[in-house]
Amino acid sequence: MRFDDNEVSRRWLLATGASVSAVAVAGCIGGNGNGEDASGEILDPEEYDYDREEPDDEDAARESTLVYTQELERDEDFDTVVSNDAYSVQVANLIFDSLYEFDYEYELQPKVAVDFPEVERDDTRYLYEIHEGIEFHNGDELTASDVAHSFTAPVEEETPNISTYDMIDEIEVIDDYQLQVDLEHPYGPWEMFNQGVSIVPEDVRTDDPEAFNEDPIGSGPFEFVDFEYGEYVELERFDDYWDEPQPYVQHIRFEDNVDDASRVSEILAGDTDAIGDVPNDDWETLEDEEDIRVHIAESPSVAYIYFNCNEGAGTADPNVRRAIAHAFSATDYVETYLNNAAMPLVTPTSRITNELWDFPLDEWEELYPDYDPDLAQELLDEHAPDDWNPTFLAPDDERATLAERVATRLDEIGYDMQVQTMDFGAMLDQTIYSDGDPDDYEAYIVGWTGGPDPDQYLYPNFHESQESVNQGHFYEGSDDFHDNILEARESADHDEREALYTDVIEEILEELPALPVFTEHNSMATGEHIKDVHVHPQMQYNPNLVHDGANVWVDDE
Amino acid sequence: MGLLRYTLYRFLQSIPVLIGITIITFLLANLAPGDPVRLMLAGQEVDEELIETIEQRYGLDRPLHERYVTYMAGLVQGDFGHSIHRNRPVTELMLNRVGPTLLLVLSAYAFALVTAIPLGILAATRRNEPTDHISRIVALIGVSTPSFWIGIMLILVFAVQLGWLPSTGLVYPWRGPDGYDWIETWPELIYQTIRHLLLPMVALGTLQMATLMRVERTQMIESLQGEYVKLARAYGVPERTILRKHAFQVAQLPIITIVGLNLSTALGGAVLIETVFNINGMGRLFIEAIQQLDYQLIMGITIVIATMFVIGVIITDIAYAYIDPRVTYGEGE
Repeated sequence: MRFDDNEVSRRWLLATGASVSAVAVAGCIGGNGNGEDASGEILDPEEYDYDREEPDDEDAARESTLVYTQELERDEDFDTVVSNDAYSVQVANLIFDSLYEFDYEYELQPKVAVDFPEVERDDTRYLYEIHEGIEFHNGDELTASDVAHSFTAPVEEETPNISTYDMIDEIEVIDDYQLQVDLEHPYGPWEMFNQGVSIVPEDVRTDDPEAFNEDPIGSGPFEFVDFEYGEYVELERFDDYWDEPQPYVQHIRFEDNVDDASRVSEILAGDTDAIGDVPNDDWETLEDEEDIRVHIAESPSVAYIYFNCNEGAGTADPNVRRAIAHAFSATDYVETYLNNAAMPLVTPTSRITNELWDFPLDEWEELYPDYDPDLAQELLDEHAPDDWNPTFLAPDDERATLAERVATRLDEIGYDMQVQTMDFGAMLDQTIYSDGDPDDYEAYIVGWTGGPDPDQYLYPNFHESQESVNQGHFYEGSDDFHDNILEARESADHDEREALYTDVIEEILEELPALPVFTEHNSMATGEHIKDVHVHPQMQYNPNLVHDGANVWVDDE
Repeated sequence: MGLLRYTLYRFLQSIPVLIGITIITFLLANLAPGDPVRLMLAGQEVDEELIETIEQRYGLDRPLHERYVTYMAGLVQGDFGHSIHRNRPVTELMLNRVGPTLLLVLSAYAFALVTAIPLGILAATRRNEPTDHISRIVALIGVSTPSFWIGIMLILVFAVQLGWLPSTGLVYPWRGPDGYDWIETWPELIYQTIRHLLLPMVALGTLQMATLMRVERTQMIESLQGEYVKLARAYGVPERTILRKHAFQVAQLPIITIVGLNLSTALGGAVLIETVFNINGMGRLFIEAIQQLDYQLIMGITIVIATMFVIGVIITDIAYAYIDPRVTYGEGE
């Protein structure tokens, strides 16, 4: 399993557009910012943490067959060296085993690897040992050279995943079951980020990469059996699977349906067994259905309002940024529009990351600007430029409702903010790929899905090297700000990294080059007959058919 | 000018139209804000060098006119270019999706014609009677209700509430999914195709049906008031024969025109219907291409749809001439 930020960010970039499109821009400006207009309480994912279920009749369970409808179409790249979209990877994850995999607590567990690696040479050398006797679906044995190939192929072939592994200096295959990976420099996110690499069979893959991409062979619990481009993928259980537990599901068919209403109709009509991404507005409808269950898990995604910190922008002044942050209530916004699909967030890293890293959340919550229109007005009166007329760019989806809300709140205190909704591609061109002209924008909203490591949020979104690549806010920062991000990235010492990141995050919360607003959940609706479903926080693991924490089966009784 | 020559003339006439379409589409697609390469790489830690390499690979670094000439050179050889976003030939992508759209549009037309013509005749022959009033109301509803809304309502009633028909997807009569045991025979495949097609076909065909029904009614009323009908009646020709032989044939000419000219409306409606019913056709592909700024794909689909429309108009003209011998073209020019 790969965890490159490219792949996961694409999930965000694409999925948010479809996830809550039913939320109309009309009527989005209501409310007074203090929660009085909230449409519902914010849903707590932990309430949907179902107990494990086991079948009475295992033989019957092993005849399970199901249809899973994904919320966005796949790019149809099933070779994980190449695949760059989360929805193809959802399929691929059932076909391939990875060196390590994340459990439901987002902690890495060895899979193909026997144990955690030995780390040598000042955190630049990793020694891995893999299990003997693992077979690919074609009967070939999985060896260390396959693992080496899986690490190096994205770089050698310059696939879109090149940046995930380009810090590898050299890999030495010691024998069939051991390999040594040398990095050019210590790389902090290596363990959490790269060890989840999916293992592809080198010989088959290099023989004909294009054919392999559309007819992959892995060593995972399911094998590829049928595929029609743009329509469906069908997998069968691999009965000689090497690991436990063995899956109950015998056959799974992946389809996709990008239209929220249509996807919900499908599950209501019983035309599919499970759908990914339950739209916020349909949550209660589906939950009230007797024969449908809804599932949810917190994801490592963050939606940010970025402020243009470039010279000449009104928002270059941190007081103005803080004023905007005080002018509206993020909690109220989430309660009103995303209460079943997201939670407010007060840090630039995901809640999952914060928990894993044991960051001082209580202190950071104090730093987060709460709703205080009087203070907002006071700050703006004092620090906003004369005739300040900022532009807020937002994609033409539910994020536009957030931009509209901010503008409405500013209007209430006497400031006129223009909201400009745009086609997503055009908006990216004008913001994160731009030179930050204040005439173009002073704020914009984009999301980011990282993973457990803070680097996945802080480097792409805040380091100066990523200006005009992943970000368009041009935040200069304090003397150490960018150095700290880079130093933390190139260190493997957890305590050192934690200290560096703490400084960086506190500066972000104080200076607000970007305001984190909410984290969106992974969700799923399944027929009541589909048992032992648990949504994984890493959306590429879903549907998580077989795992230590789940073994899905169909109850036909 | 004979029919054959006229046919040839009309086809030759369409060439500059199609070239004009390619120029306009090419300009619009390439001048639209948003960079396809950067959008493809969105979220990745990339450098300018990588972007330049990809732009060189796809020829995006060359001047617009050069790219257009290259594109057209490929087009005349049947090469619609390469989708950057999907890393596949556009021709392959479109061929994968054209079948469902044609099946949907043609079946919607069939539904519209089969229902509109008898209902239009019935309304004309029972003018100002309750049947006529009901047909008027049905037509009004059909014309004024968006097809996607009809689709959603049909899903709610027939799929969600009654559970009679599937809510989404399409089964193709020419290809059964390999992995499904339930399709073992052709009759089953045809049955499943019809089941899956019924709701989207009605949703898409309702507008056409309503339009055609009103036109048919008006034309039939006009025909029935024509001098030749009066003469036939005076000769004592039975009413059924008058309807069938005299009035009906003349009344169909405007129907043919409308069917041809409404092709673009039907294709436009198919975009929405394919979305509502989750049908993987050209319409949905087009929407996806626009969202992804996949300009080669946008170009390809636009050209195909425009060509289909132009061909539809030509066929309409030819059919018009074939059915009504009174219609002549270009004589005396």
